[in-house]
Amino acid sequence: MRQRWLLTVFVIFCGILMVLPIYFLFVSAFKEPNDVFRLSINFSHLTLDNFKAVLETNILRAIWNSFFVSSVVTIVALLFHSMSGYALARLNFPGKNFIFGWMISTLMVPFTVIMIPLYMVTKNFGMANSYLGLIVPMIFNAYGIFLFRQFYNEFPKELEEAAYMEGLSIAGTFFRIVLPLSKPMIIPLTIGFFTANWNNYLWPLIINQKEDLWVVQVALANIVGGGYETSWSIVLAAALLCALPTFALFFLVQRHLVEGVKMTGIK
Amino acid sequence: MFKKKNRLKRKEALTAYGFVLPNFIGLTIFVFVPMVYAFYVSLHQWNALSPKVFVGFDNYVQMAKDKEWWHSVYNTFIFTIIYVPLLFGLSLFFAVLIHQLKSRYESLARTLFLLPFAITSVISATIWMFLYDPRNGFINQVLKFFGGHSQQFLGSTNQALISIIVVIIWINLGYNMMIFLASIKEIPTDYYEAARIDGATGWKAFRFITFPLLRGTSIFILVVTTIGSFQVFDQIMVMTKGGPANATEVSVLYIYKQAFEFLNMGYASALAVVLFIIIFVLSLTQLKLYTRKD
Amino acid sequence: MKVWKTLTVFLLALILALPLAACSSSKSSGDSKGIVTLKFWDFHTDAEKKFFQDLVKEYNASHPNVKIEMASFNQSDYTTTKLPVAFANNEGPDIFMVSPGGFTKFAQSGILADLNPYFKDGVKEDFLPSALDAVTYNGKVLALPFEMELLGLYYNKQMLKDANVEVPKTWEELQEAAKKLTTDQHAGIVLPTDKEPYLNFLWYPFLWQQGGDVISKDGKKATFDTPEVAKALDFWGSFFQKGYAPSKLQIGPTDIGNLGTGKTAMQICGTWAIPVLENKYKNVDVGLAPLPIPDGGKPATDAGGWKLAVNAKSKHVKEAADFVMWAFGSDKSRPLKWATEVKFAYPARKSVVEEGKSVYDKGLRKIFTEEIYDTAIPEPRYNPEIVDAIGESLQKVMFSDAKGSQVAKETNEKIQAALNK
Repeated sequence: MRQRWLLTVFVIFCGILMVLPIYFLFVSAFKEPNDVFRLSINFSHLTLDNFKAVLETNILRAIWNSFFVSSVVTIVALLFHSMSGYALARLNFPGKNFIFGWMISTLMVPFTVIMIPLYMVTKNFGMANSYLGLIVPMIFNAYGIFLFRQFYNEFPKELEEAAYMEGLSIAGTFFRIVLPLSKPMIIPLTIGFFTANWNNYLWPLIINQKEDLWVVQVALANIVGGGYETSWSIVLAAALLCALPTFALFFLVQRHLVEGVKMTGIK
Repeated sequence: MFKKKNRLKRKEALTAYGFVLPNFIGLTIFVFVPMVYAFYVSLHQWNALSPKVFVGFDNYVQMAKDKEWWHSVYNTFIFTIIYVPLLFGLSLFFAVLIHQLKSRYESLARTLFLLPFAITSVISATIWMFLYDPRNGFINQVLKFFGGHSQQFLGSTNQALISIIVVIIWINLGYNMMIFLASIKEIPTDYYEAARIDGATGWKAFRFITFPLLRGTSIFILVVTTIGSFQVFDQIMVMTKGGPANATEVSVLYIYKQAFEFLNMGYASALAVVLFIIIFVLSLTQLKLYTRKD
Repeated sequence: MKVWKTLTVFLLALILALPLAACSSSKSSGDSKGIVTLKFWDFHTDAEKKFFQDLVKEYNASHPNVKIEMASFNQSDYTTTKLPVAFANNEGPDIFMVSPGGFTKFAQSGILADLNPYFKDGVKEDFLPSALDAVTYNGKVLALPFEMELLGLYYNKQMLKDANVEVPKTWEELQEAAKKLTTDQHAGIVLPTDKEPYLNFLWYPFLWQQGGDVISKDGKKATFDTPEVAKALDFWGSFFQKGYAPSKLQIGPTDIGNLGTGKTAMQICGTWAIPVLENKYKNVDVGLAPLPIPDGGKPATDAGGWKLAVNAKSKHVKEAADFVMWAFGSDKSRPLKWATEVKFAYPARKSVVEEGKSVYDKGLRKIFTEEIYDTAIPEPRYNPEIVDAIGESLQKVMFSDAKGSQVAKETNEKIQAALNK
């Protein structure tokens, strides 16, 4: 037992080290402009002015936009990717390996190079300068397919076999039995997709012009400016604000990462 | 009997195609088509603003002589060789450790490690530039406290790449650890019970039970992390812009430079095609190497 | 099961919200009822952004047949990704900004419209010759200059006094000063560290002061393999090699905050810093001096500044050009306001400089006007490969042990190759 206590201390210590840079972010958001990059915290000089300045920009609209886009992408992606991953893991069909390989290869393309043709394609579908343009191209990503396939490869077969015996079709089995039990994989992927879309910068930057379509990273970059002077205290306050929804998601969602399927499912 | 089996098989195949269809269509339209277009562009000289000029394979010939390109490939390889094993090892290490903790502490630890993942790339780069400041950054202050010397970190051609690797690991550790954790939890505890009866605990349990059963996940993390390490862009762009003196200029950065600073779209596309081939061969090798019997 | 129910409801709600969301942005940017709509893309922030927004508002109000829509983007992505990607898809703005660093890349591609036909009488002659030269390409005027930003050496008077250092006038003095002023509390001097056009911008004066230049006057031959270049390279690199200038900056090199927050004793910065010093760093006693010169050299400094341009492929080149001319090529009040109130810079037109005489005598501005203005050489507008090659040579002398003469020779070949293309 003492061993476990030592382990706990060690791990929590490492965890605190990991969070230290975020602590700096947190504290800096409340500092006055001149103090931002100093290590000391002058408690008499803490201020909420940075946040006031941030709220005068359209950051709240951007947060809503990002939330909307990331949520829709995540939910649709989870659905599509779990289906594809399941088919690639469990079902037999001609061309299975080729399709898998082809899908994985789509991960290997650097975004900067397909950026312009992707813009053209999106424009041709009439999705430029709209929410659709932010959502639809981002749904299709082989990472989720790969992970789901990996997960379903090791999914206990007994459950599906039992379902077939009851007369359920393949699709029925998937949607009624397998998918609900896929929580252990859905949780990390929810975090992954949501965060990836939340932090997406280049694509939203080039596909949209209108300020009311701005997402969080674009709005943040605008606050940074990159001009002759940057008010870092305001930028960091904005950054903190923008990170809160993702933090909240993390707290809410990963609580559910408890037991594996093999334990729960068979029961 | 035969007909029924065939019918079932066909039904299975149809369902499978139906399941795969949305992604197949989506990936084709939004990734494959642009990829093909990029290859098409690579056979031309194009500055995005005027019409394209067909040059056949000239861009590829030019690439062979481009010293800066090969230097960027070298930088990318160094980055990958250091980053991937480190991230893999650390994620697995902490996943195993955290799994041992009481659920309350496990939850806390997981959250702490995961938080860096939520920070957007520009901000994480900014925070770390502050920590790494060569004159009075936090890390140097700590070093000096313990009697060491100030380091240049991002300002040094030797240390810049490693400094950036640390940041990328910091961002991704918690997330990959969570994936390992999810897989570790799939391992039935009876296995460990049985092993304990036989006297195998701790390291032995890990080596003979945990690690082998994590095979699939390990391969996934390895392949995906490798692919990802070839694409790290945002943080490097903010922290060093590829410097100092091109010490951190990885291939994607060089491609970006050619594409958008020089407006050499054709050449940049050719470079991207080659990079794609490199990643593809590497991933294929990894998959073949690690998926032996399964 | 409950989780799934909530998820489905959530998803349905979001999907229902989609058409509402799509509606709000379906207003197409077309022309309706004879009103010409122009897109104006900018990168400025704060007060500068407001200036342009006000300009647009005023123009829209006084020109009922034209509607200008303005959008702002982050500066660093503006010229690299935002503009080229939009242009590549024929979705580029009608009016936009170009800098000297990006000018040639756009000029070569033909995306800049010739503004010659749109000058009102007498206005073209009003522009300073050097300012117009910088935007003339193959005889066409491809952008309209509206500001000239000069470089000077800013310094913290107190820090210099404490270290017993006189304001440096020569290269040797600058090095000595930087050495003495480098302490644990602050750096000796702040110079740009990252490879970008701004790095080159600050280095050019050290080459010009010796009479050297990057390429020949006719623009055909590279003149980088010269002792002047080698000397300027080594001089610049020495600050980093010896640790007088930090190898990495937290606050950008264009931000006078490096000086204002006491992180450094000296900083080479531009005219834009003066309003910032007066507003944000009132308590710091800052001085300004011309850039130090080498033995036998002539004073010289760099004059940069953005320019307004019209998209040659726009459907409404005339209307766009009219706006550009109205903004900075007609009434003196607007360029004057920009150069004296919104930020501090020198206008590109002689008459406007005359108008603003009183402003140019205030505070640190006086030093720019009296001691620096006449020595200014406009920032060159080399094509991006040359800008990159120069940047690399600087990075080499800053961070590796390469010698200036050797680097100059290698870079000369690269520059010549880029010129031959």
